[in-house]
Amino acid sequence: MSESGTTNLIEMRGIEKHFGRVVALNGVDLEVREGEIMGLLGDNGSGKSTLIKTLVGVHQPDAGEVFIRGEQVHISNPKEARKYGISTVYQDLALVDTLSVSANMFLARNPMKRYAGISVVDWETMNEQAEEIIRSRLNLEIDPTARVEFLSGGERQAVAIARSLVTDPDLVIMDEPTSALSADSARRVRDLIQTLNDEGITVLLITHNMDEVFALTDRVTILDSGDLVGTVDTDRVTKEDIVQMMVSGEMPASIQDTTGDTEAHA
Amino acid sequence: MSIRDRDWADVLDRTSGESTKWLLWGLDNMIWPIVIVTFAVFAVLMPEVFTSASNIQFMLYSSAGLGALVLAESLCLLSGNFDLSIGSIAGFSAMVTALFLNTWFPSTPGLVGVVLVLAIGGAIGFVNGVSIGYFGINPFLQTLAFFIIFRGAVFLLSTITVAPLPESYLFIGGALVGDLPLIGEAGSIWLIDSIPIAVLLIVGLYAATWFVMNYRRIGLAIMAVGGDENAAEEAGIPRERVLLIVFTTSGVLSGLAGLLYTGYLSAAPPGLAEGDLFPAFAGAVIGGISLTGGRGDIENAFGGMFLLTMIQVGLVQVGVGGDAIQFINGLVLLLAIYLYTTEAKIRHRLLST
Repeated sequence: MSESGTTNLIEMRGIEKHFGRVVALNGVDLEVREGEIMGLLGDNGSGKSTLIKTLVGVHQPDAGEVFIRGEQVHISNPKEARKYGISTVYQDLALVDTLSVSANMFLARNPMKRYAGISVVDWETMNEQAEEIIRSRLNLEIDPTARVEFLSGGERQAVAIARSLVTDPDLVIMDEPTSALSADSARRVRDLIQTLNDEGITVLLITHNMDEVFALTDRVTILDSGDLVGTVDTDRVTKEDIVQMMVSGEMPASIQDTTGDTEAHA
Repeated sequence: MSIRDRDWADVLDRTSGESTKWLLWGLDNMIWPIVIVTFAVFAVLMPEVFTSASNIQFMLYSSAGLGALVLAESLCLLSGNFDLSIGSIAGFSAMVTALFLNTWFPSTPGLVGVVLVLAIGGAIGFVNGVSIGYFGINPFLQTLAFFIIFRGAVFLLSTITVAPLPESYLFIGGALVGDLPLIGEAGSIWLIDSIPIAVLLIVGLYAATWFVMNYRRIGLAIMAVGGDENAAEEAGIPRERVLLIVFTTSGVLSGLAGLLYTGYLSAAPPGLAEGDLFPAFAGAVIGGISLTGGRGDIENAFGGMFLLTMIQVGLVQVGVGGDAIQFINGLVLLLAIYLYTTEAKIRHRLLST
């Protein structure tokens, strides 16, 4: 586990989101500190995905504020989120099976070069940069020219993670990255997330998996039916504490809620 | 543990294993050995077919119009769609332009006709693209409706063949390289002189499309939309605009097919390109363009088109009646489908062992 910073990279305050009469988020706060791995935990329908989609601009909040490094921002779409240094690895990975690894990593963002006065896709640079990210940064052996359909489940996840690095983000959000994988592949993906974090990338990890929470995260924020239950330091709680928080939707008196702590320090 | 989720070590062997890579490459491009073998069989068994220059010329001529339609259908298939209206667009745009030049405004220069025939095709394709891309109309229903509407419209416009037409309008579809002013005067060798201009144009178009599909942003976007619509959209590719471009291009190419057929026939018959829809599909599929989108290469579609024309022309030349052509087309298509299904199985086995 890495040393957690004390400044907030992301701060969401009082986020509300309604879909018709359904309240998806009811005034939720979320803080992600620079350099940490923050877990986001909750049952189906707890609002984790909605919160993430609100952060990256897929949804617009009905109320609430978002700050990046202390500055208030309005992110209106995922492309804008990438400009703010936020990349997302979706649960369905969003890979095109019939294209190569490098084509997927640079989908809609192909490096171009001039050739005889025409702007053409620079495959050479694309494959080199893909190779650089995969081999040097993630320490993996995947041929960037191989078609994605030829890869295993773990490798596909790795390619999706590699793609999130193309825009050189400060924060990578991962939505259930290991839920569809075998135990062995899941372990490798977890190593990958740790590698990412060791490089100084902040990670927001949505997960169901309790082992993953304790193996990776510095802190964890728990949601329940659109309400914030609380944020706790992972090494100060037990599995049972977290389960209890998820089930009851309340903070046990014995545990310190660290939501808002960072602000107080600053 | 699923088949997709094996140990990484053996995946590493597979993805970097040279022999497997070459084998897959061979399977992807198997149309070419088939083209060569078919050619050899014809050349040996029926030498008269491919030894006569006029036969070859006839083959090239008849492949030009169909070639444009195979290209149109290939683009639609690669984008994960298909276009049933290509033959009808070719017939309609050719007929309207022919009437324009022959009956409505008789002294119009032929070049205006060239622009008109492509513009009509493009405009119809544009409407297809708006309906399918932006309004989400099912491509089968949209293009089926246009297939029927524009074929019917041709017969409303004229039930007889429209001729004569200006020489300059017929030039692209009917002239030979030797007819070009500069080359003709230079008195170049007969072989090049007797190649139809339409054929050079089609070869050039396939080359240009190959380039676009592999090296231009829009080409990669088409392959991405065809491969996985949702993934492409999540990456920020504007699916609607891509489909609009694909169907408009398909329309322009169909208009071009109308122009080439008209030039070759020196007239615009109401039945122009009438039976060409399924041969166009067949050419694309025989060339390995997948019906499910995102998979296939333009150069192989060219091979598929070439194979289909070669078989057709070869059979006509040795006296198999024109009536049998549809039947033979169907057989070739069926064979191709079996072949590609087998290929998919071989590929799967290669990847899972």
